Amino acid sequence: MAASMLDWALRAARQVLPSPCTRQVRSYYVDWRMLRDVKRRKLAYEYADERLRINAIRKNTILPKELQEVADKEIADLPRDSCPVRIRNRCVLTSRPRGVKRRWRLSRIVFRHFADHAQMSGVQRAMW
Amino acid sequence: KLFSTSSMLSTENDKSAASKDSSTEVASKSQKGTAEAPKQKLLDIIGSMTVEVSYRKKLKQLKTRKPLNPELVEAVSAVASSLPLSKKQTESELLAQLRRHEETTDKQKKGGIINIRNVISEMAVKRQSPAQRGMRISSRISLKLDEDDQRIKSLQNFFLVSSPTIWDLEFAKEIAAVTAQPPRNGFEEMIQWTKEGILWEFPIDNEAGMEDDAEFHEHIFLEKHLKDFPKQGPIRHFMELVICGLSKNPYLSVKQKIEHIEWFQNYFEEKKELLQEI
Repeated sequence: MAASMLDWALRAARQVLPSPCTRQVRSYYVDWRMLRDVKRRKLAYEYADERLRINAIRKNTILPKELQEVADKEIADLPRDSCPVRIRNRCVLTSRPRGVKRRWRLSRIVFRHFADHAQMSGVQRAMW
Repeated sequence: KLFSTSSMLSTENDKSAASKDSSTEVASKSQKGTAEAPKQKLLDIIGSMTVEVSYRKKLKQLKTRKPLNPELVEAVSAVASSLPLSKKQTESELLAQLRRHEETTDKQKKGGIINIRNVISEMAVKRQSPAQRGMRISSRISLKLDEDDQRIKSLQNFFLVSSPTIWDLEFAKEIAAVTAQPPRNGFEEMIQWTKEGILWEFPIDNEAGMEDDAEFHEHIFLEKHLKDFPKQGPIRHFMELVICGLSKNPYLSVKQKIEHIEWFQNYFEEKKELLQEI
Protein backbone atom coordinates (compact mmCIF):
# COMPACT_ATOMS: atom_id res chain seq x y z
CA MET A 1 0.00 0.00 0.00
CA ALA A 2 2.72 2.39 0.98
CA ALA A 3 4.83 1.36 -2.01
CA SER A 4 1.96 1.90 -4.44
CA MET A 5 1.23 5.26 -2.85
CA LEU A 6 4.86 6.20 -3.23
CA ASP A 7 4.80 5.13 -6.88
CA TRP A 8 1.69 7.16 -7.50
CA ALA A 9 3.23 10.10 -5.72
CA LEU A 10 6.42 9.88 -7.74
CA ARG A 11 4.55 9.63 -11.00
CA ALA A 12 2.22 12.43 -10.08
CA ALA A 13 4.99 14.63 -8.80
CA ARG A 14 7.43 14.29 -11.63
CA GLN A 15 6.74 16.78 -14.35
CA VAL A 16 9.00 16.40 -17.34
CA LEU A 17 9.32 19.51 -19.48
CA PRO A 18 9.95 18.88 -23.18
CA SER A 19 12.72 21.47 -23.45
CA PRO A 20 15.94 21.44 -21.35
CA CYS A 21 15.13 23.47 -18.26
CA THR A 22 17.88 25.36 -16.47
CA ARG A 23 15.64 26.37 -13.57
CA GLN A 24 15.27 24.55 -10.28
CA VAL A 25 13.22 21.41 -10.85
CA ARG A 26 11.26 19.96 -7.98
CA SER A 27 10.50 16.30 -8.38
CA TYR A 28 8.57 15.70 -5.14
CA TYR A 29 5.77 17.48 -3.36
CA VAL A 30 6.79 19.13 -0.14
CA ASP A 31 4.81 16.83 2.14
CA TRP A 32 1.96 14.36 2.22
CA ARG A 33 -0.57 17.01 3.13
CA MET A 34 0.29 18.84 -0.06
CA LEU A 35 -0.15 15.62 -1.99
CA ARG A 36 -3.56 15.04 -0.47
CA ASP A 37 -4.50 18.60 -1.38
CA VAL A 38 -3.40 17.94 -4.95
CA LYS A 39 -5.58 14.83 -5.08
CA ARG A 40 -8.54 16.78 -3.79
CA ARG A 41 -8.06 19.44 -6.43
CA LYS A 42 -7.93 16.85 -9.20
CA LEU A 43 -11.08 15.10 -8.01
CA ALA A 44 -12.88 18.38 -7.53
CA TYR A 45 -12.04 19.29 -11.13
CA GLU A 46 -13.33 15.94 -12.41
CA TYR A 47 -16.60 16.04 -10.53
CA ALA A 48 -17.20 19.77 -10.85
CA ASP A 49 -19.78 19.48 -13.64
CA GLU A 50 -21.76 16.70 -11.95
CA ARG A 51 -21.83 18.53 -8.65
CA LEU A 52 -23.02 21.67 -10.40
CA ARG A 53 -25.86 19.84 -12.11
CA ILE A 54 -27.00 17.91 -9.07
CA ASN A 55 -26.91 21.05 -6.98
CA ALA A 56 -29.01 22.81 -9.61
CA ILE A 57 -31.65 20.14 -9.04
CA ARG A 58 -31.38 20.39 -5.29
CA LYS A 59 -31.47 24.15 -4.87
CA ASN A 60 -34.80 24.56 -6.57
CA THR A 61 -38.33 25.54 -5.78
CA ILE A 62 -39.85 24.18 -8.99
CA LEU A 63 -39.02 20.48 -8.99
CA PRO A 64 -40.83 18.13 -6.61
CA LYS A 65 -39.27 17.54 -3.23
CA GLU A 66 -38.93 13.81 -3.67
CA LEU A 67 -36.69 14.39 -6.64
CA GLN A 68 -34.61 16.79 -4.61
CA GLU A 69 -34.23 14.26 -1.83
CA VAL A 70 -32.99 11.70 -4.31
CA ALA A 71 -30.50 14.24 -5.60
CA ASP A 72 -29.37 14.87 -2.02
CA LYS A 73 -28.53 11.23 -1.62
CA GLU A 74 -26.71 11.16 -4.93
CA ILE A 75 -24.46 14.03 -4.11
CA ALA A 76 -23.68 12.48 -0.74
CA ASP A 77 -22.60 9.33 -2.57
CA LEU A 78 -19.95 11.14 -4.54
CA PRO A 79 -16.39 10.76 -3.20
CA ARG A 80 -15.71 12.99 -0.27
CA ASP A 81 -12.60 14.51 -1.82
CA SER A 82 -14.55 15.78 -4.79
CA CYS A 83 -16.10 18.72 -3.01
CA PRO A 84 -14.23 21.99 -3.51
CA VAL A 85 -14.71 23.01 0.09
CA ARG A 86 -12.00 20.61 1.19
CA ILE A 87 -9.36 22.34 -0.89
CA ARG A 88 -6.95 24.42 1.15
CA ASN A 89 -4.82 27.07 -0.54
CA ARG A 90 -1.46 26.04 0.81
CA CYS A 91 1.84 27.74 0.20
CA VAL A 92 3.32 26.34 -2.98
CA LEU A 93 6.87 26.14 -1.66
CA THR A 94 6.48 25.26 2.00
CA SER A 95 2.94 23.81 2.16
CA ARG A 96 2.04 26.17 4.97
CA PRO A 97 -1.75 26.23 5.34
CA ARG A 98 -2.01 29.62 6.99
CA GLY A 99 -0.71 33.05 6.12
CA VAL A 100 -0.82 32.43 2.35
CA LYS A 101 -1.34 35.37 0.00
CA ARG A 102 -3.55 34.30 -2.88
CA ARG A 103 -1.92 36.38 -5.58
CA TRP A 104 1.47 34.74 -5.16
CA ARG A 105 0.37 31.42 -3.66
CA LEU A 106 3.19 31.84 -1.14
CA SER A 107 3.25 31.93 2.62
CA ARG A 108 4.18 35.18 4.30
CA ILE A 109 7.62 33.94 5.30
CA VAL A 110 8.66 32.82 1.82
CA PHE A 111 7.17 35.95 0.33
CA ARG A 112 9.22 38.11 2.66
CA HIS A 113 12.34 36.10 1.90
CA PHE A 114 12.01 36.54 -1.84
CA ALA A 115 10.90 40.15 -1.67
CA ASP A 116 13.91 41.08 0.44
CA HIS A 117 16.26 39.39 -2.03
CA ALA A 118 14.58 41.39 -4.84
CA GLN A 119 13.27 38.26 -6.53
CA MET A 120 9.65 39.36 -6.63
CA SER A 121 8.90 41.50 -9.61
CA GLY A 122 7.25 44.77 -8.72
CA VAL A 123 7.33 44.23 -4.97
CA GLN A 124 8.98 46.85 -2.87
CA ARG A 125 9.17 47.63 0.85
CA ALA A 126 6.36 49.96 1.75
CA MET A 127 7.23 53.34 3.09
CA TRP A 128 4.82 56.21 3.34
CA LYS B 1 13.24 59.54 -53.40
CA LEU B 2 15.93 56.99 -52.72
CA PHE B 3 13.37 54.22 -52.69
CA SER B 4 11.80 55.28 -55.97
CA THR B 5 15.16 55.44 -57.79
CA SER B 6 16.24 52.06 -56.47
CA SER B 7 12.94 50.50 -57.51
CA MET B 8 13.35 51.93 -61.00
CA LEU B 9 16.83 50.44 -61.23
CA SER B 10 15.70 47.03 -60.02
CA THR B 11 12.74 46.89 -62.38
CA GLU B 12 14.95 47.88 -65.31
CA ASN B 13 17.41 45.11 -64.44
CA ASP B 14 14.62 42.61 -64.33
CA LYS B 15 13.11 43.70 -67.61
CA SER B 16 16.40 43.64 -69.48
CA ALA B 17 17.12 40.03 -68.70
CA ALA B 18 13.68 38.64 -68.03
CA SER B 19 12.17 35.28 -68.78
CA LYS B 20 8.55 35.04 -69.90
CA ASP B 21 7.13 34.30 -66.43
CA SER B 22 8.98 36.89 -64.37
CA SER B 23 8.29 39.64 -66.90
CA THR B 24 4.51 39.31 -66.58
CA GLU B 25 4.71 39.28 -62.79
CA VAL B 26 7.10 42.23 -62.62
CA ALA B 27 5.08 44.18 -65.17
CA SER B 28 1.94 43.79 -63.10
CA LYS B 29 3.90 44.79 -60.01
CA SER B 30 5.47 47.88 -61.57
CA GLN B 31 2.05 49.05 -62.76
CA LYS B 32 0.73 48.82 -59.26
CA GLY B 33 3.81 50.46 -57.73
CA THR B 34 3.35 53.72 -59.55
CA ALA B 35 -0.35 53.90 -58.90
CA GLU B 36 -0.64 53.01 -55.20
CA ALA B 37 0.63 54.09 -51.78
CA PRO B 38 4.33 53.98 -50.72
CA LYS B 39 3.60 50.86 -48.64
CA GLN B 40 2.80 48.97 -51.81
CA LYS B 41 6.04 50.33 -53.31
CA LEU B 42 8.01 48.87 -50.44
CA LEU B 43 6.33 45.51 -50.89
CA ASP B 44 7.08 45.63 -54.59
CA ILE B 45 10.70 46.48 -53.95
CA ILE B 46 11.05 43.57 -51.57
CA GLY B 47 9.28 41.31 -54.04
CA SER B 48 11.46 42.39 -56.93
CA MET B 49 14.55 41.89 -54.79
CA THR B 50 13.60 38.30 -54.17
CA VAL B 51 12.96 37.88 -57.88
CA GLU B 52 16.52 39.06 -58.59
CA VAL B 53 17.98 36.66 -56.04
CA SER B 54 16.21 33.65 -57.52
CA TYR B 55 17.03 34.68 -61.09
CA ARG B 56 19.99 32.33 -61.49
CA LYS B 57 17.89 29.43 -60.30
CA LYS B 58 15.27 30.29 -62.88
CA LEU B 59 17.84 30.36 -65.69
CA LYS B 60 18.96 26.89 -64.69
CA GLN B 61 15.39 25.69 -64.58
CA LEU B 62 14.67 27.17 -67.99
CA LYS B 63 17.57 25.28 -69.52
CA THR B 64 16.70 21.94 -67.98
CA ARG B 65 12.92 21.87 -68.36
CA LYS B 66 11.04 18.95 -69.77
CA PRO B 67 8.19 19.79 -72.19
CA LEU B 68 4.69 19.94 -70.68
CA ASN B 69 2.00 17.46 -71.48
CA PRO B 70 0.27 18.69 -74.69
CA GLU B 71 -3.16 17.78 -73.35
CA LEU B 72 -2.57 20.00 -70.34
CA VAL B 73 -1.44 22.84 -72.57
CA GLU B 74 -4.65 22.49 -74.56
CA ALA B 75 -6.66 22.50 -71.34
CA VAL B 76 -4.81 25.63 -70.26
CA SER B 77 -5.65 27.42 -73.48
CA ALA B 78 -9.31 26.36 -73.20
CA VAL B 79 -9.50 27.65 -69.62
CA ALA B 80 -7.81 30.92 -70.57
CA SER B 81 -10.24 31.50 -73.40
CA SER B 82 -13.23 30.77 -71.16
CA LEU B 83 -12.17 33.35 -68.55
CA PRO B 84 -12.97 37.05 -68.95
CA LEU B 85 -9.36 38.18 -68.08
CA SER B 86 -6.69 38.82 -70.70
CA LYS B 87 -6.02 35.54 -72.50
CA LYS B 88 -2.27 35.70 -72.92
CA GLN B 89 -1.61 36.68 -69.33
CA THR B 90 -3.79 33.94 -67.91
CA GLU B 91 -2.27 31.39 -70.23
CA SER B 92 1.26 32.29 -69.25
CA GLU B 93 0.42 32.26 -65.56
CA LEU B 94 -1.37 28.94 -65.77
CA LEU B 95 1.58 27.44 -67.60
CA ALA B 96 3.91 28.79 -64.93
CA GLN B 97 1.75 27.18 -62.24
CA LEU B 98 1.77 23.91 -64.16
CA ARG B 99 5.53 23.91 -64.50
CA ARG B 100 6.00 24.65 -60.83
CA HIS B 101 3.63 21.85 -59.96
CA GLU B 102 5.45 19.43 -62.26
CA GLU B 103 8.72 20.29 -60.60
CA THR B 104 7.38 19.73 -57.11
CA THR B 105 5.88 16.36 -58.05
CA ASP B 106 9.16 15.34 -59.66
CA LYS B 107 11.07 16.31 -56.55
CA GLN B 108 8.70 14.30 -54.39
CA LYS B 109 9.01 11.26 -56.62
CA LYS B 110 12.80 11.35 -56.59
CA GLY B 111 13.47 12.29 -52.97
CA GLY B 112 10.87 10.20 -51.14
CA ILE B 113 12.76 10.05 -47.83
CA ILE B 114 12.25 13.26 -45.94
CA ASN B 115 15.58 14.89 -45.27
CA ILE B 116 15.79 16.27 -41.75
CA ARG B 117 18.31 18.82 -42.90
CA ASN B 118 15.66 20.26 -45.17
CA VAL B 119 13.25 20.39 -42.26
CA ILE B 120 15.72 22.32 -40.14
CA SER B 121 16.78 24.55 -43.03
CA GLU B 122 13.11 25.23 -43.68
CA MET B 123 12.76 26.28 -40.07
CA ALA B 124 15.66 28.69 -40.62
CA VAL B 125 14.39 29.89 -43.98
CA LYS B 126 11.00 30.72 -42.58
CA ARG B 127 12.49 33.98 -41.31
CA GLN B 128 12.56 35.24 -44.87
CA SER B 129 8.85 34.70 -45.30
CA PRO B 130 7.81 38.29 -44.51
CA ALA B 131 10.04 39.40 -47.38
CA GLN B 132 8.46 36.86 -49.69
CA ARG B 133 5.01 37.81 -48.49
CA GLY B 134 5.04 40.90 -50.70
CA MET B 135 5.64 38.70 -53.73
CA ARG B 136 2.98 36.24 -52.67
CA ILE B 137 0.38 38.94 -52.13
CA SER B 138 0.95 40.53 -55.51
CA SER B 139 0.95 37.15 -57.25
CA ARG B 140 -2.23 36.22 -55.46
CA ILE B 141 -3.94 39.42 -56.55
CA SER B 142 -2.95 38.84 -60.12
CA LEU B 143 -3.82 35.17 -60.31
CA LYS B 144 -7.16 34.34 -58.61
CA LEU B 145 -7.27 31.07 -60.54
CA ASP B 146 -7.32 28.53 -57.73
CA GLU B 147 -10.30 26.54 -58.94
CA ASP B 148 -8.82 25.96 -62.36
CA ASP B 149 -5.51 24.96 -60.86
CA GLN B 150 -7.25 22.40 -58.75
CA ARG B 151 -8.96 20.96 -61.78
CA ILE B 152 -5.61 20.56 -63.47
CA LYS B 153 -3.94 19.26 -60.36
CA SER B 154 -6.59 16.64 -59.70
CA LEU B 155 -5.56 15.00 -62.96
CA GLN B 156 -2.07 14.44 -61.67
CA ASN B 157 -1.84 14.69 -57.99
CA PHE B 158 -2.47 11.71 -55.79
CA PHE B 159 1.01 11.55 -54.42
CA LEU B 160 0.47 12.60 -50.80
CA VAL B 161 3.33 13.94 -48.69
CA SER B 162 3.79 11.31 -45.98
CA SER B 163 3.83 12.90 -42.55
CA PRO B 164 7.19 12.60 -40.78
CA THR B 165 7.46 9.39 -38.77
CA ILE B 166 7.93 9.31 -35.00
CA TRP B 167 11.63 8.56 -35.43
CA ASP B 168 12.11 11.59 -37.60
CA LEU B 169 10.35 13.75 -35.06
CA GLU B 170 12.49 12.32 -32.26
CA PHE B 171 15.63 12.98 -34.25
CA ALA B 172 14.56 16.55 -34.93
CA LYS B 173 13.85 17.05 -31.23
CA GLU B 174 17.29 15.66 -30.32
CA ILE B 175 19.01 18.01 -32.70
CA ALA B 176 17.00 20.96 -31.41
CA ALA B 177 17.90 20.04 -27.83
CA VAL B 178 21.60 19.71 -28.60
CA THR B 179 21.86 22.90 -30.61
CA ALA B 180 19.78 24.99 -28.20
CA GLN B 181 22.07 27.64 -26.77
CA PRO B 182 21.21 29.39 -23.51
CA PRO B 183 19.67 32.80 -24.28
CA ARG B 184 22.23 35.50 -24.89
CA ASN B 185 19.98 38.37 -23.90
CA GLY B 186 16.56 39.22 -22.52
CA PHE B 187 14.92 39.12 -25.93
CA GLU B 188 15.99 35.56 -26.60
CA GLU B 189 14.88 34.59 -23.13
CA MET B 190 11.45 36.05 -23.81
CA ILE B 191 11.31 34.23 -27.15
CA GLN B 192 12.09 30.96 -25.39
CA TRP B 193 9.45 31.60 -22.77
CA THR B 194 6.87 32.36 -25.47
CA LYS B 195 7.69 29.07 -27.18
CA GLU B 196 7.31 27.17 -23.92
CA GLY B 197 3.99 28.89 -23.26
CA ILE B 198 5.12 30.72 -20.13
CA LEU B 199 4.75 34.14 -21.77
CA TRP B 200 1.67 35.16 -23.66
CA GLU B 201 1.81 36.40 -27.21
CA PHE B 202 1.51 40.14 -27.74
CA PRO B 203 -0.74 41.88 -28.74
CA ILE B 204 -2.90 39.96 -26.32
CA ASP B 205 -5.49 37.81 -28.02
CA ASN B 206 -8.38 37.39 -25.62
CA GLU B 207 -9.45 34.22 -27.36
CA ALA B 208 -6.06 32.49 -27.35
CA GLY B 209 -6.51 28.77 -26.88
CA MET B 210 -10.26 29.05 -27.33
CA GLU B 211 -11.48 27.66 -30.62
CA ASP B 212 -15.15 28.34 -30.58
CA ASP B 213 -16.33 28.25 -34.18
CA ALA B 214 -20.00 28.49 -33.27
CA GLU B 215 -22.11 31.50 -34.17
CA PHE B 216 -23.98 33.53 -31.57
CA HIS B 217 -27.31 31.95 -32.43
CA GLU B 218 -26.01 28.53 -31.49
CA HIS B 219 -25.18 29.84 -28.05
CA ILE B 220 -28.42 31.67 -27.38
CA PHE B 221 -31.20 29.75 -29.08
CA LEU B 222 -30.95 26.45 -27.24
CA GLU B 223 -34.65 25.56 -27.33
CA LYS B 224 -34.14 23.08 -30.14
CA HIS B 225 -32.27 20.84 -27.68
CA LEU B 226 -35.41 20.67 -25.55
CA LYS B 227 -37.31 18.62 -28.08
CA ASP B 228 -37.32 15.40 -26.07
CA PHE B 229 -38.58 16.95 -22.90
CA PRO B 230 -42.27 17.01 -21.91
CA LYS B 231 -43.89 20.26 -22.91
CA GLN B 232 -45.78 20.90 -19.73
CA GLY B 233 -44.93 20.59 -16.12
CA PRO B 234 -42.20 21.47 -13.67
CA ILE B 235 -39.42 19.73 -15.62
CA ARG B 236 -40.04 21.90 -18.65
CA HIS B 237 -40.08 24.97 -16.44
CA PHE B 238 -36.80 23.90 -14.86
CA MET B 239 -35.13 23.20 -18.22
CA GLU B 240 -36.23 26.54 -19.60
CA LEU B 241 -34.52 28.23 -16.68
CA VAL B 242 -31.42 26.13 -17.31
CA ILE B 243 -31.40 27.20 -20.94
CA CYS B 244 -31.87 30.84 -20.00
CA GLY B 245 -28.84 30.60 -17.73
CA LEU B 246 -26.72 28.78 -20.31
CA SER B 247 -27.53 31.29 -23.02
CA LYS B 248 -26.20 34.06 -20.83
CA ASN B 249 -22.96 32.20 -20.07
CA PRO B 250 -20.09 33.46 -22.25
CA TYR B 251 -17.50 31.12 -20.77
CA LEU B 252 -18.83 27.79 -21.97
CA SER B 253 -18.54 26.42 -25.48
CA VAL B 254 -21.60 25.19 -27.34
CA LYS B 255 -20.50 21.59 -26.83
CA GLN B 256 -20.35 22.00 -23.08
CA LYS B 257 -23.80 23.57 -23.03
CA ILE B 258 -25.24 20.72 -25.06
CA GLU B 259 -23.54 18.25 -22.71
CA HIS B 260 -25.22 19.88 -19.73
CA ILE B 261 -28.63 19.61 -21.37
CA GLU B 262 -28.05 16.00 -22.37
CA TRP B 263 -26.97 15.08 -18.87
CA PHE B 264 -30.23 16.48 -17.53
CA GLN B 265 -32.10 14.55 -20.16
CA ASN B 266 -30.47 11.27 -19.12
CA TYR B 267 -31.03 12.05 -15.47
CA PHE B 268 -34.72 12.66 -15.89
CA GLU B 269 -35.05 9.56 -18.10
CA GLU B 270 -33.63 7.45 -15.30
CA LYS B 271 -35.91 9.03 -12.74
CA LYS B 272 -39.04 8.58 -14.88
CA GLU B 273 -40.55 5.87 -12.67
CA LEU B 274 -40.02 7.95 -9.60
CA LEU B 275 -41.61 10.92 -11.31
CA GLN B 276 -44.63 8.92 -12.39
CA GLU B 277 -45.26 7.84 -8.81
CA ILE B 278 -45.58 11.48 -7.90
